[in-house]
Amino acid sequence: MIGARLLRTLPAAALIVLFAAGLNLAAQVPAVPPAKILQMALQAPRLVDYEGTKVITVLRNGSMETITVAESHKRPNDMRLEYVSPEDVAGRLIVDNGSTAWHYEPRLNMAFQGPTMQGELLSRDFTLLMRNYRVSALGVEDVIGRQAYVIALDPIKSGVHRQLWVDRSTGTVLRSEERDPTRGVIMSTYFSRISFSLNLPEAYFQFRLPAGARVLKMFTTASESMSPAALQARVRFPVLIPPVLPEGYTFRGGALNQFGSLTSVYLRYSNGGNLISFFEAPAGAIGWPSAGRAIKVGDRPARFVDLGYFRVLIWEQHGLRLTAVGTVPTETLTTVAGQIAAGREQVLVRDVSDLIRSDPATVRRLRGEGLTFPEVARTIVLSQRLGTDLPTTVRFVRGSLTSADLAAQLGMSPHALQEAVRRAMGETPAIPPLPPVLR
Amino acid sequence: MRINHHRSSQLLSAYLDGELLPAEAAAVQDHLLECAPCRAAYEGLRITKGLLGELPVAEPPAEFWEAVRRPPPTRAVARISWWTPALQRGVLGGLAAALIVLALALVPMIKGTVDRLHAAEIGVDLYVREHALQMSTEPLADRAYLGVITGDSDLVLAGESAHRQAGGR
Repeated sequence: MIGARLLRTLPAAALIVLFAAGLNLAAQVPAVPPAKILQMALQAPRLVDYEGTKVITVLRNGSMETITVAESHKRPNDMRLEYVSPEDVAGRLIVDNGSTAWHYEPRLNMAFQGPTMQGELLSRDFTLLMRNYRVSALGVEDVIGRQAYVIALDPIKSGVHRQLWVDRSTGTVLRSEERDPTRGVIMSTYFSRISFSLNLPEAYFQFRLPAGARVLKMFTTASESMSPAALQARVRFPVLIPPVLPEGYTFRGGALNQFGSLTSVYLRYSNGGNLISFFEAPAGAIGWPSAGRAIKVGDRPARFVDLGYFRVLIWEQHGLRLTAVGTVPTETLTTVAGQIAAGREQVLVRDVSDLIRSDPATVRRLRGEGLTFPEVARTIVLSQRLGTDLPTTVRFVRGSLTSADLAAQLGMSPHALQEAVRRAMGETPAIPPLPPVLR
Repeated sequence: MRINHHRSSQLLSAYLDGELLPAEAAAVQDHLLECAPCRAAYEGLRITKGLLGELPVAEPPAEFWEAVRRPPPTRAVARISWWTPALQRGVLGGLAAALIVLALALVPMIKGTVDRLHAAEIGVDLYVREHALQMSTEPLADRAYLGVITGDSDLVLAGESAHRQAGGR
C-alpha cells in the first residue's frame, strides 16, 4: 500500500527536484553576452588586486614544461612574480610598477632593469579582438571553488584558438588555454589558489636592490613608436614593410632596436590576440645563428627556430637579415617571409594604385605608415566612400577608432555605418595574391 | 803546508812565473828539493820559457798592410751603396706606416666579424626578448610566462648561461 503510493509520488517528486534544480541553475548563470565577459576580463586588472599561485604548462622544445609562479597584482599596474619551479628559474623575481620592470636573478646576484611589461588597455584592443575572433560563451564551470564563465575566442581566419575561464565576481582570468590547429594545446595556465581584495602594500611592488647586486640596464628600444617612414630616415639600409599579412593583422608600432653595435629596425603587427614581430638589420651586422634548422624561403636559405610557444624564422633578402617572431603556424611565417622583398615596392605601389585608381603618392604614404597593401586599398576606398580624411580612416582601419565613434563623427547610426563599410568593402578590389619572391 | 807530487806538477808553471801565494810557492819549493822528476820538469819549463823570450818579434810582410789598407771590392760597395741611413729610415718608416694602416683596417674588420658572430648567437634571444616584451602589452598575454622568456634572454644577453633559451641550446 505504502509502496504503491511511493511509486506514484516518486516521479512527481523527481520532476519537482529537476525543475527546482533547473531554476537554480538558471538563477546561477544569467545570460551574459560573451563580448561582455571578454570586456570584463580585459578590464579586471585595472579593478582588482589579487595574490595567487599560478601553474603554467607550455610547449617548449617539443615537450610540455610546467612553471609555477607566485603572482601578485595591485591595481592598476603593479605586478610581482616570484618563480618557484622549475629549478633553473626558482627564486627569480620580477617586480613591475607599470613604468619599469626589475628582474632579479638570485643565483648570480644580478638585477636587470628594463621597460614595463604592462600595457595600457586601449579601445583598439577590444575592437581588434572582436573583429578578428569569434567570441562565444561555453557556459559556467567551477575553477578552484569559484564560478567562472567559459568563453572561446576562435580566429575568424587562421591562428591560435583561446579559451578563457573568467571569474564571475571579479573578471580575473582564472584559467586559460591556447590551441594551435596543428599542434594542439601550446599553453595552459591556471591558478591553483587565489585571494582577492588583499590591499597589498605598495612596498611589496617596489624593488629593493640586494646588497652587492650587479645592475644591468636593458632598454634596447625607445618607448615611443615610429612609423616605417620615420624609421627609414634613421637607418642607412632599406626598411621593408610586409606587403601582405594574415587577415586581421595590423601595424602596432615600430622602433629602433639597439644592442651593442647591432642596430635593427623593429616592426610589429597585431590582430588583438597575437603579435608578429619583424626585425631587420644589415646582413653584414649579424650572422646566421647556430640554433634551429635550415629551411628555404622561396629559394633562399633560411633558419627556423622552434621554441615551442614562439617560432622564429630568419632569412636573408638583398643584403638584409630579416627575423620574424610569432605564435603563428610555420606556414604563415614562411608565406609572409616569402612576400617581403627589397626592390619591388615601387612596382607593387604602382600596381595597387592602378587597381584602386588612386595616385601612387597616397599609396606610398600609407605604406610608410606601415599598412599592408590590402589595408591601403581598404583605407583609400573607405575614405572615398565615407568622405573621411585619410588619418581618420587609417585609425578606423587599424581599430584605434571604433565604429561607434566614427558613426558619431559622421552623424550616422552605427548600423548605417556598418552597412556603408560593408558596401565599400564589397567595392574594394581584392589585392591578388602576390607571387613569392625569388632570388 | 805540504803538497803531493801531482799537485806540485800542476803548479810548476805558475811557480816559474811567480804567480803563487807565498805559502804555495814555499810548498812547491820544498817538494822540488825532495822530488827529482819534478825538478827535471821544472828545468824543462824554465829552459823553454827562456827560449821563447829570446825569439825575435815577427814583422808582417808589406803586402799584408797593403791588403788591409786597400778599399773593399767595388762589387760589394755597389751592393750596399743605395742602403743609406736616410733610405733605411724611410723604408722602416714606410713599413711602420703600412703596419699601422693594416692594423687600422684589420681591427674594425676583426671586430666586425666578432660582432657579427656574437650578434648571430645572441640575435635570436635579443629579438625573442623584444617580441615577448611587446607581447606582454597585449591584453590577453600571460605576463608570468613572458617573464620567463624575457628573464632567460636577459641572462643570455648579459653573457650568463641560460641553457633554456634559443641561443643557448
